[in-house]
Amino acid sequence: MELDVRGEICPYPMLKAVEAMKKLKGTDEVVVFTDHAPCLDTIPPQAGRYGYTYQVEENGGAEWTITLIPKGSM
Amino acid sequence: MALTHETTKGPSTLLTSMPRQSIIAVLVLFGALGLAVVMSRTEAILAPLWLLAMAAGFTLQRSRFCFASAFRDLFLFGSSRIMKGILVGLAIATIGFAINMYSKVPFPGFGALPGEANILPVGLSTIVGGLLFGFGMVLSGGCVSGSLYRMAEGYVASWVSMGGILIGLGFLSQTWNWWWQASISHEPTVWIPSKFGLGYGGGVILTLGGLLIAFLLFLWWESRSGLSTPDIPHKKEPDDTLVQKLSILWRSVFVRGWSAVVGGGVLGVIGVLMYMVHMPWGVTGELARFSNTIMSTLNFAPPEALGLSDLGGCSGLSGAGLFTHSFAATVGVLPGSLVGALFASEFKLRFPRNAKRYVQALGGGIIMGYGAGLAIGCTVGAFFSSIPSLSISGWLFALALSCGAFMGVQVIKRIA
Repeated sequence: MELDVRGEICPYPMLKAVEAMKKLKGTDEVVVFTDHAPCLDTIPPQAGRYGYTYQVEENGGAEWTITLIPKGSM
Repeated sequence: MALTHETTKGPSTLLTSMPRQSIIAVLVLFGALGLAVVMSRTEAILAPLWLLAMAAGFTLQRSRFCFASAFRDLFLFGSSRIMKGILVGLAIATIGFAINMYSKVPFPGFGALPGEANILPVGLSTIVGGLLFGFGMVLSGGCVSGSLYRMAEGYVASWVSMGGILIGLGFLSQTWNWWWQASISHEPTVWIPSKFGLGYGGGVILTLGGLLIAFLLFLWWESRSGLSTPDIPHKKEPDDTLVQKLSILWRSVFVRGWSAVVGGGVLGVIGVLMYMVHMPWGVTGELARFSNTIMSTLNFAPPEALGLSDLGGCSGLSGAGLFTHSFAATVGVLPGSLVGALFASEFKLRFPRNAKRYVQALGGGIIMGYGAGLAIGCTVGAFFSSIPSLSISGWLFALALSCGAFMGVQVIKRIA
């Protein structure tokens, strides 16, 4: 599942990522495209809560891709 | 300054965009330092206040420190990450403020209060102000200092919030006298060292004790949430040569984000230094002054505020002229944050994609502005600078902020 939350105000980038993880319950990856730096601090601790692990890539231009991967599928 | 919007990954995009933003960062830095020199001609003390405000802005940006997030995330994500940073900052500031207050008022039992400390009235104004501010800050996506630092990062919604804050402060200014007569004139200021012979020692111990209890509360709160950051392997960066070591050091300060605890601690130190220079850090007063000036220009000046000049905190009564103490302490946050954002290549004009976010930002800002005017300070002046001033008002405001934030969370979840 892809989630493009660029331009969203706080806390919607993180909130939408968490809702996606809650909904999918580990059945699929969530790929978050964001330009909101607080995501980098807020999303990883939530990942563990919902059975996901994560990966962060810097895309430059103040944009990041946070990939949430269901645990056990790596 | 053309920023690439391609999302190709890899070091080449980073390298081409980084030096450009870094060059602009250096220019902004020199411009701001130059402005400090200009301001010092009006009054010498303005330069250190401006520089400290820049340091605060830089710290807010680097550690992504937002008081609104701190309260909100307790309820939205079960997280107390930023709150812990705030506690560290409060603890440091409490000790520093106490030492400073002691030098001004060595005998707290005689009724005199240290002049510049943020010892604010305790009562309905604190509660209503805190509820409104807590609600508004969550709705608009940032508190006053949070909006300031994000304005400098390019968040257009934060500019809209700030407009709302000015409007809200304006409304409050127009209605201050009603609040004064209805409640504030009857509200006491409760300065801990002057009560029950507690003195500074008692005041500091009680405050630190309160912070410790809050810390334990947050630990318990997080244990209920089941937060856990998954372990991910980190490649070890080569750090053999001097250049590599310096590069890692540079990046840990100017590129990678700081932890909330580091951010909070640094803000605590900055708060102490600012108070030593002149007054505790506050940002609402200058915004109130600006709002009043705009209203006067539009022939809609607020009535003279009863009783406000006798109260401390962020009252907006800090004198005429552009370059005042409150100007330096507030506006300096912007270049500081901008420099931080540019060096980290985190400046980007961010436009909300949804029109309703503009309404949220504006509405939340207006509510925040009204609450901050009523409480004579925001999460900085009425909380982060008030608890270390050993004023009970800071604690009551924090409680009200929490309740307001809780209500705000219920609303924002439903308008996602």
